[in-house]
Amino acid sequence: MDQESVRLIIETLKQEGVELVVTLPEEPTYSLTEAIRQDPYFTSITVAGEGNGIMLCAGAAIGGRKCVFVTGIAGLLVASWALAQTGMVFGIPVLLLISYRGDMGDHSGIPGAQLLMFKQVAEPLLNTLRIPYRIVNQKAALKRSLQEANFACHDYGAPVALLLSGEVLW
Amino acid sequence: MKRRECLEWLASYVPEDTVVAASLSSNSSMWSSLRPQGANFFGLNLGLSLPFALGLTLAFPKGKVLCLESDGSLMNDSSSLITLADVNPSNLVVLVFDNASYARMGPTFTSRAADLEKIAQGAGVKNTATIRSHEEFALGVKRAFESEGLAFLVVKVEPDTERTVGNPRFYGRPMRERFVDAVMQRPDYWGKKAEK
Repeated sequence: MDQESVRLIIETLKQEGVELVVTLPEEPTYSLTEAIRQDPYFTSITVAGEGNGIMLCAGAAIGGRKCVFVTGIAGLLVASWALAQTGMVFGIPVLLLISYRGDMGDHSGIPGAQLLMFKQVAEPLLNTLRIPYRIVNQKAALKRSLQEANFACHDYGAPVALLLSGEVLW
Repeated sequence: MKRRECLEWLASYVPEDTVVAASLSSNSSMWSSLRPQGANFFGLNLGLSLPFALGLTLAFPKGKVLCLESDGSLMNDSSSLITLADVNPSNLVVLVFDNASYARMGPTFTSRAADLEKIAQGAGVKNTATIRSHEEFALGVKRAFESEGLAFLVVKVEPDTERTVGNPRFYGRPMRERFVDAVMQRPDYWGKKAEK
């Protein structure tokens, strides 16, 4: 992710009052989470597993904190148990920023079979988990998408995801 | 030592306004019968209650948060212990009720070689203990609530013999709504700060 996308996301998170950022570091979003970690506005937490990251966000969110979980498609798969509970059982708002690994344009060097698997499972998994999502692949749409996702997340009382791809991510 | 006896003593000791996260199934069904009101979040499934409680500590940093965890649940996502140690909250009391069994479906790994206190220590959790008597339980809980810092107590209890099916009102969305109503009344509710 380049610095323009990083700047747009950080500015919008601040405008939206999202100040708790949880992640398990992954390459495409590392520039974002590293910039957030160095910004005193944010509380930044690194977790050892995506499932416990989602639940950490859920506990904080139900206590009124606005948080975002930053992950990739692998993390989405690992966290699916926690997301099913958070969204479908309890209805807790957790905003998800997900690097869309495997989407067309991913030239990151991961073997093609892995990329294809990510592409094949990502959106069906979000649909199975009943998580509303939007693909954001234009920088011009990033700020508004983030604002709308954050609003929808709290309005629905459910996890909402933005799949970052295209010029936003690569 | 029986889990219910420990929880009954705990309900007599823990302040009413303590924020609590309880795992399925015995912890939730028993605790909901003892503390049906207030900021009690019940029914957190396998591997979820400890990290959820950790999130609650971030929302309520000034009061104690109590996590009622169990051995089978904690083993399902022991990576949460690493996250717990790294965040190292100053206000979390974790009680892992270790009955060494999956309800009535046979033994867990703590009946053989697994030691949850040592696993927590290996993850970097500093203040740990394994409790085997009512006296140790009372002492350990009082110390945990009266001092600053994270406390991680493994409480060895007998396997539960009763089938614990909690009241449906204490699970899912109805429970969530009651929990949110309770925490929104608190003066330290984070959402109030966010609205200002």
